[in-house]
Amino acid sequence: MSPVFLLTLRQLSGKWRVVIMTTLAALPVFFTAMSVRAIDAPSVSEFEIIVLSTMLAGSIAPLIIVAIASVAFANEIEERTLANLTLSPIPRWQIVLPKLAASVVVAGPFIVGSAVLTSFLAFNHDALAIFAVATGILVGLLMYASVFVWLGLVTKQAIGVGLLYIVLWEGFFSGFVSGIRFFSIRHYSIALMHGLDPRRFAESQPVGLPTTIAVSVAVVVLFLVLSTRRLRNMDVP
Amino acid sequence: MSGRPEPVIRVDHVSRWFGSVVAVSDVTFDILPGITGLLGPNGAGKTTLLRMMTGLAGVSDGSVTMFGEPVRDNPSLYGRMGVMSEHETVYSFMKGREFVRMMGRLRGVVDLDAATEKAIDLVDLPHAAHLPMGTYSRGMRQRMRLAATLVHDPEVLILDEPLNGADPRQRVHFQSLLQKLAEGGRTIVISSHILEEVEQVAETVLLIVNGKLAASGGFRSIRAALDKRPYHVRIISDDPRALASAVVRLPSVDAVNVDPDGAIIVLSNNVRDLQVELPKLAQASSISLRRVEPLDDSLESVFGYLVEG
Amino acid sequence: MSGSTSETRAVSGHAEGRVFDIGYERYDGPREGRHRARMAVFKDGVRIALGLGRGPRAKVLPWGFIALLVGIGFIMALVVGAVLRLGGPDAAAGLPNHSDFYGISSIFFFVFAAVVAPELLCPDRRDGVINLYLVRPLNGSDYIVARWLAFLSVSLCVAWLPQFVLMIGLVMGNPDPAGYLQTHWLDIPRILTAGAAIAAYTTTLAMLVAGFTNRRAYAAVFLVGLFVITTPFTTALASEIGGAAGQWISMFNLTNIPVHVNDLIFGEVSGVTSGAPAREFPAWVLVGWYFAWVVVPGLVLWTRYRRLTP
Repeated sequence: MSPVFLLTLRQLSGKWRVVIMTTLAALPVFFTAMSVRAIDAPSVSEFEIIVLSTMLAGSIAPLIIVAIASVAFANEIEERTLANLTLSPIPRWQIVLPKLAASVVVAGPFIVGSAVLTSFLAFNHDALAIFAVATGILVGLLMYASVFVWLGLVTKQAIGVGLLYIVLWEGFFSGFVSGIRFFSIRHYSIALMHGLDPRRFAESQPVGLPTTIAVSVAVVVLFLVLSTRRLRNMDVP
Repeated sequence: MSGRPEPVIRVDHVSRWFGSVVAVSDVTFDILPGITGLLGPNGAGKTTLLRMMTGLAGVSDGSVTMFGEPVRDNPSLYGRMGVMSEHETVYSFMKGREFVRMMGRLRGVVDLDAATEKAIDLVDLPHAAHLPMGTYSRGMRQRMRLAATLVHDPEVLILDEPLNGADPRQRVHFQSLLQKLAEGGRTIVISSHILEEVEQVAETVLLIVNGKLAASGGFRSIRAALDKRPYHVRIISDDPRALASAVVRLPSVDAVNVDPDGAIIVLSNNVRDLQVELPKLAQASSISLRRVEPLDDSLESVFGYLVEG
Repeated sequence: MSGSTSETRAVSGHAEGRVFDIGYERYDGPREGRHRARMAVFKDGVRIALGLGRGPRAKVLPWGFIALLVGIGFIMALVVGAVLRLGGPDAAAGLPNHSDFYGISSIFFFVFAAVVAPELLCPDRRDGVINLYLVRPLNGSDYIVARWLAFLSVSLCVAWLPQFVLMIGLVMGNPDPAGYLQTHWLDIPRILTAGAAIAAYTTTLAMLVAGFTNRRAYAAVFLVGLFVITTPFTTALASEIGGAAGQWISMFNLTNIPVHVNDLIFGEVSGVTSGAPAREFPAWVLVGWYFAWVVVPGLVLWTRYRRLTP
């Protein structure tokens, strides 16, 4: 296994991070558990929009992954340890890819776990629904992670820019301006849920499955390439 | 080029600026096998220069090559290079041995266990290798970082202020280690702002001041060249005319000028002799000296600062 | 190799010493005392917050936020002006106004504070620079008060500026500018107080969180998480549970706390708080609750820094 991967795993799993991730990941589960018992429980489409789209795909997944992925490089830059890795005779993508993989491995269990539990409670143990939701969230997570890993390499303000992007772009504008959803990771996360289980988000008519898969792959590859390029051209402190 | 060995590192008209700040300005030199000391006060541009020599930072102008290849964005070269940066930060959660091992793996060492233990032995830290590096003292951290730099037995070593935090005993140990490595034909560049640190090991010193190459050569020959350089000295006394006519006869003085404000400017070819002769002369001619100051003491003062550490 | 370069080229291993001439000048500057030290920390705080004296990248975030908030004020003014022209005063009466501005933009204030405020505290502790401050004639209280005031000043400007842009827009867009000013002049003190309320609140909370971590990243994510998540969470829970318990749950909607005060100052209910059960509480409870959320975190922050010694 890549030493960069193992190193990053250890860097990213601190006590505080686990506390924050657990708290954030528990919120939608708690909310779902409360609302399925309520007398006037929300309708399926209300639930999908509030919990799956707004909370999970739009806030919690990106918030957790921004705290993890954008520091995968940013911490090494800030602590000035990155030279240890870049002065190795290995291709640059072998530094970027393990960092991305470690971010997803650290954050994934919390976010996917939250998605599985939430859909388990909401959809009466329906296996297809759980699978679709978990996969949609996981792929969204991968896309977010590749964007934020790159962001951590290009700016010291990765967290700030990332938060702004989450709140403004994914949260605010994409809800108002319908054209923006084609450039929104949250939307493709939802589209994948719909593609795998057509009952999900039946009313919002997301883009088709093949497009979703193509865009998801393209986003991840694009930002991997950008990160690799950046690592080659930047001044390593 | 004939007769002279091929340079390992070639720095050719290199400049680097950050916005409007020029950190390194048109520096040119070659580094041959053996130990070269890069000297200069803090903030002189040593680190920027070293970072460009390792390819960590790009140049704004000029070029840096190692073994004839560009160092920037050239990972295949990095396996032949051992670099220890000025930053003393380490992965504090990692044990010393883990760190050296990881660096060995990253640099493609084959017999990892043996190389790790050998490197840790070289810096004399086997007793602390099982402890997390967060618990290390500054000197121990530096030594473990040196072990990680040496683990793949590189041909070129570039060390930025490696003796920060080292006590005198470790300093001696380190110097003999460097000499041993250099005898094996390696090329070593070591930077410092303390002359004493590199004086004993480095055959050649490159003196960097304000981002420019201010002097090069052996330490003693730089000293001699400095002494030979003519100096302007400004002298204020109660009788400038009498002093001027007396002082011009001194062998250490080439020329004398009298300023309209009453000061005299002496051009001296040997400022050390002048320091001795001037007070004697003043006493003999009963002239009282109010003030004696060198006008262009830049390199002298820098050098003095470096020598005194 | 060209002839000229080989002549000036210094070579290692070359025993003969050579000296090259370089320019050199002495530094001679003034030295100042304690009040100056406090002012320096304050000024430095303002400069950090706005990214002054740093590269363009450091300016993107703060000025981006300011532009965004001013943009919101500007768009609101444009909409009101357009509607006035097309539909007359009756149609414009129901449009968002000064009283609604902080409700609409509060989330951006929080993100602004969450992202920028930690810059004023975290790096100093992380890099140990705070010790350098404290060996000056400057104690922990001086430091934290100066930093708090610095970010508060910036926040005040960020809070007031868009409101004044909106006001200018409204005055200009009105067919009778002088008459509009005469009837609405009270909006000016209202804007000043409501802006101060939201600025003090966001500054204190953001500084508090920043005071407890060395990493800006975690402070920022924690704060945004707090603000972004508590809103849908408390809103949904409060409406499900209802009654007095629901009202109190609604009080913990952190984005709404200063907006309730804003509503009291303007005497109107903003869009974001109109559905919140907490607004049924008497005014003194809402104001007291607001002050509790400013004073207590402020004291905690102060105690944390007061005892700091180098």
